[in-house]
Amino acid sequence: MFDLPTTNIGGPELFVLEFGDIVAYFSPYTAALFVFALIFTVLAIVSRPERQVDFAFGGDAYYTKEVEANLLRFQRFMAIACGLATLGAMVTGDVFNFTLFASLVGITNIGIVAAYRNRHVLNAAFQYGIVVMLATVPLFGGAAIVLASTGTLSMWELFTGAVAVPLFAKAFLVLGVMGEGMAPFYIAKAEITRAQGAPFVLMVHVSSLLLFLRVIEIVLSM
Amino acid sequence: MIEYLLFATFIGLLFHGIHRKVIARIQGRPGPPIWQEILHTLKFSFKETWIPKTASHALFIGIVVVAIGIWSAALFLLLSGGSILLLFAVYLLHKIVEHGMGLSTGSPYTKFGAIRSVISAASELPLLVTVVAIYFFTHSLSIADIAAYQEVHGPLLIIAFPAAVAMYLVILSKMHYGPFSIIEAKEIVSGNMTEHFGVWRAALEVAYALKTYVLLYAFVLIFIGSLPLALTLLAMLIVLVSLSFVCAVTPMLSPYDTVTVQSLVTGALVIYIIILGVIMG
Repeated sequence: MFDLPTTNIGGPELFVLEFGDIVAYFSPYTAALFVFALIFTVLAIVSRPERQVDFAFGGDAYYTKEVEANLLRFQRFMAIACGLATLGAMVTGDVFNFTLFASLVGITNIGIVAAYRNRHVLNAAFQYGIVVMLATVPLFGGAAIVLASTGTLSMWELFTGAVAVPLFAKAFLVLGVMGEGMAPFYIAKAEITRAQGAPFVLMVHVSSLLLFLRVIEIVLSM
Repeated sequence: MIEYLLFATFIGLLFHGIHRKVIARIQGRPGPPIWQEILHTLKFSFKETWIPKTASHALFIGIVVVAIGIWSAALFLLLSGGSILLLFAVYLLHKIVEHGMGLSTGSPYTKFGAIRSVISAASELPLLVTVVAIYFFTHSLSIADIAAYQEVHGPLLIIAFPAAVAMYLVILSKMHYGPFSIIEAKEIVSGNMTEHFGVWRAALEVAYALKTYVLLYAFVLIFIGSLPLALTLLAMLIVLVSLSFVCAVTPMLSPYDTVTVQSLVTGALVIYIIILGVIMG
């Protein structure tokens, strides 16, 4: 029933997993991304965070930041949720589900950073929240245009040569994913590294890069 | 496959040594022997190994394993003629390795390296544009299909020269001592690698050797075509020496200048692709 038409982009289809009308598929490409997301999700589960060393300006003093247990639990929860959302986005065979997972990644990314009680970090999280909210418009708008112009959101239908997806719908999807956490908008902000970096803040980067890789496969295949 | 991995590691380390030697000779210094990086890796393998108290232990070790894993997978991908989109993915995932390595230790120096790694995310964009440009010509991203295309139409180095320049810039941005090597600049000690010592450093040297081998091999395979092994190695060596020359005569750029240069190249490539799209329909 499910034969992936475009095999020269992400490789041939290896395995299909059906949950009712929600269908996930594994090609060499999506499987590789899935495995990578899984590795970092497991690392987020088993790792304790680093204890950040800070220098005090104007002297030779340095100190190690302590991590509170409550903060650790919340950040770990958000990082795992982020990992699960990323796993879903990597293998889903439906454009709408992909956009849902992408927006969930955006929400959890805010959670990972906003948990840290520091004015600079909270400012960064607030600004990112605004970008994420704005990015949902092109993200879901792109999916809506795909549905309106082709009548389907299934990647098995959209990846065939017979279905033409408008270029600006693809551009909207890419723009939306970039807004959900790509480098220019968020991760490069120095403020977020005042929070503990590993492994929780790293999940922000892992999820955003993997989302970008997946959306590139989707728009090239459509 | 294991023997090819060992071969690629050995050649990659040798290439790193040649890279240092060429840079030194151009700068009028004698430089280290070309097998210096092999000796370094062996030396680190037997040195005392530790994990900093402040580190996130699982990630500190895990990231080294991931680094070797992704570049071994990339080598397998090239040998099996898989999709260059997956190669692009590995290249992007290497960014996570660099970032994670820096964030995992707790040290401010490695953290600076990690942040610089993220700031220089623009270095991935030329590779993405290269992938798209190649797809315009070959209508496939499979390395086997790309090699077959070049047997009929000639090397993509000539047909898609701007894409080759972009890929060259991508490799340059990952070379040691290059203009874009801001993540391991000496003002932040050794950047994101500062705290990885002993066996961890040796393993990272192996991963980086594989990375250099894979990137040079990919360049030859994608833009020149499938050649016999000896010719492939010779072509890789020529590309490497040219890169060493650029590294020798170019000072390290500031972090924001690296982003500017890489973004400008990406912009030029996007214009090239738009023109291609108009001409080729």
